[in-house]
Amino acid sequence: MTGLLLEWLIKIAVVFAILLTAVAYLSYMERRVAGWIQIRVGPNRVGPLGLLQPLADGLKFIFKEDIVPLKANKLLYIVAPAAAIIPALMTFIVIPYGSEVVLFGKQIALHVTRINVALLYVLGLTSLSVYGIVLAGWSSNNKYSLMGGLRASAQLISYELALGMAIIGVLVLTGSLDLVNIVEAQRGYWFGFLPKWNIFLQPVAFVIFFLAALAETNRVPFDLPEAEAELVAGYFTEYSSMKFAMFFMSEYLNLITSCSLATTLFFGGWTGPGVNSYPWLSIVYFVIKVFLLIFLFMWIRFTFPRFRYDQLMRLGWKFLLPTAIANVVVTSTVLLLVN
Amino acid sequence: MQLHGWEAVLFYVLAFMTLIMGVFVISARIAVHSALFLISALVNVALIFILLRAEFVAGVQILVYVGGVMVLFLFVIMLVQTRAEEESRVRLYTGQTKAVYVIAMLLAFAFIAAMRPAQSGFQSPDATAPTQTSADRGTATGQGAGGVSEDTQKVGSALYREAALPFEIASVLLLVAMVGAVMLARGSKQEKLYE
Repeated sequence: MTGLLLEWLIKIAVVFAILLTAVAYLSYMERRVAGWIQIRVGPNRVGPLGLLQPLADGLKFIFKEDIVPLKANKLLYIVAPAAAIIPALMTFIVIPYGSEVVLFGKQIALHVTRINVALLYVLGLTSLSVYGIVLAGWSSNNKYSLMGGLRASAQLISYELALGMAIIGVLVLTGSLDLVNIVEAQRGYWFGFLPKWNIFLQPVAFVIFFLAALAETNRVPFDLPEAEAELVAGYFTEYSSMKFAMFFMSEYLNLITSCSLATTLFFGGWTGPGVNSYPWLSIVYFVIKVFLLIFLFMWIRFTFPRFRYDQLMRLGWKFLLPTAIANVVVTSTVLLLVN
Repeated sequence: MQLHGWEAVLFYVLAFMTLIMGVFVISARIAVHSALFLISALVNVALIFILLRAEFVAGVQILVYVGGVMVLFLFVIMLVQTRAEEESRVRLYTGQTKAVYVIAMLLAFAFIAAMRPAQSGFQSPDATAPTQTSADRGTATGQGAGGVSEDTQKVGSALYREAALPFEIASVLLLVAMVGAVMLARGSKQEKLYE
């Protein structure tokens, strides 16, 4: 029992540390990718290739003045950044980032925990993350913040539906809400060369999932909650110092989680050639897949303009949701006929 | 189902918290705070579901109530001005208070009276089954590569085998409500505007 507890604690600590480091370096990567795409330089002065830039940013955030607006609802104003970052940190624990490895003579499964309703857990926490944004917008007592918060909540609710419906397609195929089972089901090959990834069976679901994930993480072209031309900075207009940084971190954490979930659901998670004989390779495959998806997110960010609000709503409700429902119906029908 | 040891303690803590949050919902002066207390009450109920090993129901509770319904509640509340209540210019309770005490007492008695006979006739579903500790169960569901958790399957088959008609009626009801809401929001004036 204590051994199991210790294993959990160590895994949580390791995942926590890796996630926060990854968040710091995503902010660096984003600026370098932006520089590269837009033929600019990007941060390259702090340390070799600018690699120490995230550290410098962190120090800057800590030493900035922390301002609470006079007429803000103080308690909720302080709670909001925490409400944004806690669900973002909690989601990752159910995602399997590797197969089983032997460490110190002990068989260790590379996921923090395994629960039989893992997908519901992820979706539930994603839907909780909207509260941080809404509360930040309301408690700041600033009309731009409020509008940003309201926009964010409307957007998140609209796209959550499409996201859930897209996932049901995969769910019907695998017959499990457990992410470990979903990955296991994608092992092996068709015709000896084509990996058994769900994306080949559910391409429509993947496209819907991807678009909805873009919207859920508030990224261009769906970054209306923080459209700087209209809303100053949206829901975190009034925030400064580490509180501002926490919103930033939760956004990047959500990005990592979305990409990990996409990898797990559609790209076979940690599967890949040679995993059976070298289990450590599975982590490498997982990280590469997630990294490529994150790069795709960034690529989109610096390529496309922002949607108008009515376009965003129309896309969500009139295109993505009906297509996702149709996908569920078609998938279940085909499955019923095949079996 | 009977809870033992720390599970029972946890149940009473959660149940107590749910009640406290419920009281805060109606006593908070700021409407947004009320909504937040209601959210914590709903989360507590979800935790009780997890304690009773109804993980699917817990997940749906969070997804639908906390993630959907309450966000819409907050949405509306934030756009409504409630300055008067917040600055305590308006009394929250009028003569209701005494009546509330009396009714609450009566309800409590009725509840206890209703529970007593039910409890003696209550057959615990797992009384016949071999008793499983939570640890056994965890490994059983964790290692069984069978797929969907027991609970998810149970909910699904109960919905579609035993409660198919009420389920469909409920969904039709929701559909009617949705069409009605759209009708109200898009009046005939607006329809003409679009044409």
